[in-house]
Amino acid sequence: MSMLPYAVAAWLFGIGLYGIATSRNFIHLVGCLGVCQSATYVLLLGLGYRWGSIAPIFYDHPPGTPAVDPVMQALVLTDIVVGATLTALLLVLTIQAYKRGGSLDPEKLRPMRAGGKSGRDPGPSRVSDAERSVS
Amino acid sequence: MTAFPAALLPLPVAIPLVVCAAMLATAHLLPGRLPDILATLTALSVAILCAVIAARAADSPLVYWFGGWEPRDGVHLGIGFSVDEASGWIAAFIGLLYALTFLFAWGFFDRTHGHFHILMLLFLAAMVGFCFTRDMFNLFVWFEVMSVAAFALTAYHLEESALAGAINFTVINSLAGFLMLGGIGLIYAQTGTLDFEGIAAAVARGGRDPVVAGAFCLAATALMIKGAIVPFQFWLADAHSVAPSPVSVIFSGSMVSLGLFGLAKVSAVVFAGSDQVQRTLPVLLIGMGSFTALLGGWMALLQRHLKRMLAFSTISHAGIMLTGIGALSAGGTGGMLIYVVGHGLVKGALFMIAGILLATRASIDEIALRGLGRGLGPAGIAMALAGLLLCGLPIGVLDQGTRLVQGALTQQGHGFAVAAGAIGAALTGAAVLRASGRIFLGLGPDPGDEAGAPSQDEREKANRPLWLMLAPCCVLLALDAGLPASLIEHGIPRAASAFMHRPAVGAFAEGPAWLPWASVAAALVGAGYGLFRKRLPAAVVRPVSVTQSAPTRALELLHSGLIGDYAAWLAVGVAAIAAVLTLV
Amino acid sequence: MSPRARIALLVLAGLVLLPGTGAVIAGLPPFGSTIAQYGERINAITPQVRHVANMVSAINFDLRGLDTLGEEFMLLAAITGTVVLLRGRRGEGNTERAMRRPGRAVIPRSDTVVLVCRIAGPLTALFGLYVVLHATVTPGGGFQGGVILASATLLIYLGEGYAGWRDTVRSHWLDAMEGGGALLFTLCGLAPMLTGAAFMQNVLPLGTFRDVFSGGLMLVENLGVALAVTGGFTQLFLEFMEETRAADEPDEPGEESA
Repeated sequence: MSMLPYAVAAWLFGIGLYGIATSRNFIHLVGCLGVCQSATYVLLLGLGYRWGSIAPIFYDHPPGTPAVDPVMQALVLTDIVVGATLTALLLVLTIQAYKRGGSLDPEKLRPMRAGGKSGRDPGPSRVSDAERSVS
Repeated sequence: MTAFPAALLPLPVAIPLVVCAAMLATAHLLPGRLPDILATLTALSVAILCAVIAARAADSPLVYWFGGWEPRDGVHLGIGFSVDEASGWIAAFIGLLYALTFLFAWGFFDRTHGHFHILMLLFLAAMVGFCFTRDMFNLFVWFEVMSVAAFALTAYHLEESALAGAINFTVINSLAGFLMLGGIGLIYAQTGTLDFEGIAAAVARGGRDPVVAGAFCLAATALMIKGAIVPFQFWLADAHSVAPSPVSVIFSGSMVSLGLFGLAKVSAVVFAGSDQVQRTLPVLLIGMGSFTALLGGWMALLQRHLKRMLAFSTISHAGIMLTGIGALSAGGTGGMLIYVVGHGLVKGALFMIAGILLATRASIDEIALRGLGRGLGPAGIAMALAGLLLCGLPIGVLDQGTRLVQGALTQQGHGFAVAAGAIGAALTGAAVLRASGRIFLGLGPDPGDEAGAPSQDEREKANRPLWLMLAPCCVLLALDAGLPASLIEHGIPRAASAFMHRPAVGAFAEGPAWLPWASVAAALVGAGYGLFRKRLPAAVVRPVSVTQSAPTRALELLHSGLIGDYAAWLAVGVAAIAAVLTLV
Repeated sequence: MSPRARIALLVLAGLVLLPGTGAVIAGLPPFGSTIAQYGERINAITPQVRHVANMVSAINFDLRGLDTLGEEFMLLAAITGTVVLLRGRRGEGNTERAMRRPGRAVIPRSDTVVLVCRIAGPLTALFGLYVVLHATVTPGGGFQGGVILASATLLIYLGEGYAGWRDTVRSHWLDAMEGGGALLFTLCGLAPMLTGAAFMQNVLPLGTFRDVFSGGLMLVENLGVALAVTGGFTQLFLEFMEETRAADEPDEPGEESA
């Protein structure tokens, strides 16, 4: 029982990574990344917890009451902001990728393909260049 | 109250932050060239401040406690900056690289209301913070700020390949951030502090502890992902080849090597007391580094897309830097620190040349550009010189770093790592020399064997005069070749010892003098083979192409560009590190 | 790599990692048994030396204020990046008015929705302000309150429609809020240095424990963060919203198509 939160954290990271590895949809992939990140929340908050302690806010309880670790809570707050920024950026990239490629499938979107637009020899590449500047 | 030199420490981080916040607040009011001017001046002032700090830190590291929270009764309450000479000079180098990059990109991003400059300045502030901090979590914060700014800059072109590269970059580096945070959580739970020194003391007291080893495994993985070490290197080629060329200058010149800089610092300072970690480091780092150097060099030679070629060459040189850390001596780490600067100067210049070709010749494809470089004579000379420096031409900063790394490795009998580094460097040099021969002299078959390599045409705005783009590039090369060797020779033993928190040592061993020449010769042979293959007798060509074609195809398949594959390789890498940690 | 090979690699890596993970988990202090010395120490001294009741805010804005500064600028980087990437060719010129997609019907809102939004909007904003202002006393702070304030502006969209929302929310003001808030936070760090104190040293009067006006400099920093987060998140909504109205043809990259 005393190990459960840490095991959950490890499992969350593993399952998130599995999701990323097998994902066929970028939105799903962003979600999986969020699952991986939840592993860090669970780990940090678990490490900072102590039975029978209050939240580290001494408004209703006088200072000196045993409280959980406030450092971990502050770290998790930063972590949440990291999560929000990453999700926003990834969703933007996904939107733009969808607009250009017409697909949300990570298997269909490649950074650079062999013999891509610029062709296998210099001839076609110059032509396609000229076409692009005309259009 | 903090005394004068130490009181400067927050400024190199705070000044860029103030400037970019002010630029954002007044974004729509800023007239045309003001962001360029402001950004260049800010980067210059950061460079100067860091140089002053580094000079003052020569005797003993400067320490600064934020918010006046000095340690009380041995408990570190706040965040500290601790700057030794080496960290200060690295930060000064980064500031200079930014200033020159802003010059190179003058007017390039004028339609974004300074948004590009805001992101770049944030990137700069984060890098300086990363160099200066002595707090684990603060290190993570700067690591993430760096990442977030980099993600946005990568996708700037908004082409399909740029977006795919940026997504791969974002996902893999986010995972790196999570791993690092996990490592920080573990080490905090075990030692009860986040300060480097505090953790180091607690780790040294603790003896063999699986939690410390686990924390090291996670943090080292994160830093190696940033440092593009095999098998975590995949994102780099995708991201660097599609980012705008000024951004690639920063990526390859400083971001990647900063990951390794962080690794060197963390393993030398934080985990110095853990026998398990220290016994693992040589095996792990030298093994992975040698492999990375060879694989990166080979992949570089196979490319036709110039920026992708340079990206793989960065991977190869990151491997060489890693072997330097793996020597675990002040000589090896000192060599690696010099190497970071030298490599940044040369690689920055090379990416600028790629940017010049993009702007003036509207292509980045080695084969499409064949012969089109005539008329850009100075750029051709610069590219050839940079190629020679990259493979080890024995002048300048990069060479000094190489010799120190080789010296430290030879001393400890890691002959294989020395050879791997020399071969890796020769391969990357060969790739660059072949490309410069083909582009600027029109040599070589048309198309060559590289025709099947991934490529995509792109162009960058040609709104700048050639001299404005060439000048920063030449400054970088001149700095690399012209920085007085005696200055570095004199300073580095002291700086490296202070960096590793070890007692000062005398002069460092250097590698054999013939090795750089052998590298250069190998690079010239490699480039010549690439260009004049058709004129060679079939008896020479056939065995080479037969033996290399199968592994080459396998390598190309590995670099699939699929994020799922990269995630799987990441897991394999973590498992490998963990296995080495358990077994040693 | 085929999906099957990928899964095989993952499983293999997982199996190799299993014993190590087990050893690490077994080596950690049992869950809930104790907390680290650092946190214990902060809980013990901060109420006295800083007069604040909320330890998390004390860490975020005072003890480890530099982390929060970095975090704030991380957010700024993400939002600036989002703006750059979403605008693309859509350009900077048309951010001042609501664009109407030809052919998309404007669906009138039911009176109930309008009424609920008009009631809930100000209440949400009030709650956001409360969360911001009581950062040092009760759970909350600039980040949390800023996000609530930003969502309050979304209720304007829900109740008044897109055009109404765009008339209320100006992109330039959002930039100014975001940059100004971040600037205020950074200056809170630099200003104490003028007096010879350290960066972000809490030099203002500390106020009374359990009072809204407690914590000194933290209050100002907190306001800066709230301003920046409100501006930033609203900007984020605006850009995503604008994206749903952009014309369908793929926009060329803004800069490079010469």
